[in-house]
Amino acid sequence: MSTRGRIAGLALVAAGVATILVAHWMMAFWVPSDAAQGVVQRIFYVHVPAAWTTFLAVGIVAIASAVYLWLKDERADAAAVAAAEGALIFGAVMLVTGPLWGRIAWGTYWTWEPRLTLTLLLWFTYLGYFLVRGSVADPGRGRRFAAVVAIVGALNIPLIHVSVEMFRSLHPGPVVIKPEGPTLPADMLATLLTSLGGFTMLFLGLFTFRYAVERLRRRPLAAAAGEADEALT
Amino acid sequence: MNELRRAWLIALKDLRLEFRTGGRLLSMIAFVILAGFLFAFALDRSQIAGRDVAAALLWLIMLFASTAGAGRIFDAEEEEGAFRHLLLAPVSRPAVFLGKTAANLIVIWLVTALAFISLTAFLDVRDAGSPAAHAAVLLPGTIGLAATGAFFGRMSRHSSLGDTLLPVLTFPLLVPVIYLGATSTARVFLDRPWTEISGSVRLLWAFALGSVFIGAALFRHLTDE
Repeated sequence: MSTRGRIAGLALVAAGVATILVAHWMMAFWVPSDAAQGVVQRIFYVHVPAAWTTFLAVGIVAIASAVYLWLKDERADAAAVAAAEGALIFGAVMLVTGPLWGRIAWGTYWTWEPRLTLTLLLWFTYLGYFLVRGSVADPGRGRRFAAVVAIVGALNIPLIHVSVEMFRSLHPGPVVIKPEGPTLPADMLATLLTSLGGFTMLFLGLFTFRYAVERLRRRPLAAAAGEADEALT
Repeated sequence: MNELRRAWLIALKDLRLEFRTGGRLLSMIAFVILAGFLFAFALDRSQIAGRDVAAALLWLIMLFASTAGAGRIFDAEEEEGAFRHLLLAPVSRPAVFLGKTAANLIVIWLVTALAFISLTAFLDVRDAGSPAAHAAVLLPGTIGLAATGAFFGRMSRHSSLGDTLLPVLTFPLLVPVIYLGATSTARVFLDRPWTEISGSVRLLWAFALGSVFIGAALFRHLTDE
């Protein structure tokens, strides 16, 4: 990993963690509670950024996988693996915080409504991505198969997005990205955007590091050792 | 000879092999009849009417049978290296996929018909609704099952996880099909008007055509030897 890349990764992770800490201070001490849902609504500032980061990661996996299938460039596959791990981790955060919020807001941890169901299924699809990659003996074939799974999984996203419109749903609709502009009060919007920025930077920093590790892992041992020596000196 | 004709020839070859050897087909037939039989025993019929659950059980049996069969679609050719020869033949990869999907679809139709008959008999569902309406719901649903099975069946052949990988890959994608199919079939059993069902059938067709086109477009990435 180049020095510039290492500094960029480190800076993104540090800025992400710092911004998330600021966002947590804002949600604990600054932003008012929602009039209807009370204090539990504050989980929104973790749940929504986690969901946004998950879909960002899934988008990167899909694009990188398509590039890999097209150009057979190892760098695209390394980027896809790095982003897919992010999609699984941030997806897990989204799938844990959602039911915790839902227990108070809806009176149940889980409801079999379309967006929740399809998001869980998307998470399982990306679990399948790693199962395929790890279970095929020929690494090249495993990468190709995994790329195909990633693209098919990403095609599920539009279905998730429109599912709220298509079916009767308990899940709240969009409050920020709307044709008439955000309907969220200014202080809530500021807290959400701060958290969103923190999650995005943290993901991009981790993605940068993980990409570098994946590239290093695939290099011949002697070249990787030489680079490690260079980095230490 | 156009690509569709070539695809049909591949499907005919697969079906001929299927009916001559009979292993996969017989096991799927045995599975659907036994599954209907066991469901009839497992349900407390004094509390639950067969008509209320028949649609859900039918689609679940179709899902399990098609998934179990999907892992075997490429078996006969893989064992003797014939699949490599098929790829060397002057036939496009989308045509190979369409042929495999068509053969799988015909087997699934047979299994679905048996599952329908066995379930309505074992659960004592009288006046099961319009056959044409059932066919209109089952046709796009089975196309979706067949295309998804043929696509991921190829993938599972190269995995050390084998058939255990198939449900992990296919079930998340097939949930919309099961949901839309089971709710539509349930309404056909209850003789609900077609206007209550047509929206779901349109979505089933969208999934079916999407899975066929996407499968045909991406299949070459599963067959690059």
